[in-house]
Amino acid sequence: MPTEQTPVDVPELAFPAGLPGFEDLHRFALAHWGGPDSPYARLVSLERSDVAFLVAPPEAFFDDYDVEMRDDDAALLQLEDPADALVLVMITVGERADEATANLLGPLVVNTRAQLAAQIVPAEADPARGARVPLRAA
Amino acid sequence: MLVLTRRPEQRIVIGDDIVITVLEVKGDTVRLGIDAPRSVRVHREEVHEALRQANAAALLPEGEGALPPLPPGRPRR
Repeated sequence: MPTEQTPVDVPELAFPAGLPGFEDLHRFALAHWGGPDSPYARLVSLERSDVAFLVAPPEAFFDDYDVEMRDDDAALLQLEDPADALVLVMITVGERADEATANLLGPLVVNTRAQLAAQIVPAEADPARGARVPLRAA
Repeated sequence: MLVLTRRPEQRIVIGDDIVITVLEVKGDTVRLGIDAPRSVRVHREEVHEALRQANAAALLPEGEGALPPLPPGRPRR
């Protein structure tokens, strides 16, 4: 699946399975963050105001990062048309810009049409991809 | 912890809709087949733990606009 998208605003996004570590949270909003050229968006819980994450489309930082979804994940997200899929990776910020990392082990896949999302582990999960890969700014 | 002894092809049923089947036992490894509803995530423990830790580390500090500097990323195509 190509990951050639940019963040979009989604006022309410359902995570039927929650997120690992935050399994009880199922409703989030996705909001673009930063200036017009910023690749980032904030993923904010609608149930707990203190829970928010930073996400970005992987193509803003990484070449050749394709996500091969398992069939059961595609079914959970009701994804029939790849054009509806938005792939995002979670960003962990550091104190300096060059300390920011991306979680390539567990990308988020959003069905923008059905407003459903999940953190998935791709079919060919490569542990070397890692959950904390330094962002390689272009 | 509930401890059960099972042989290959025998199953364990959890609740109404999760079934674990012992497929093969060879040396010190066990192959399991897991049938569960799609909304139940099934991961190897080490992968699940890696995701839990990564998500906990990625939690943003409270408050808008309190983010440290970030790399700009590529220009959009």
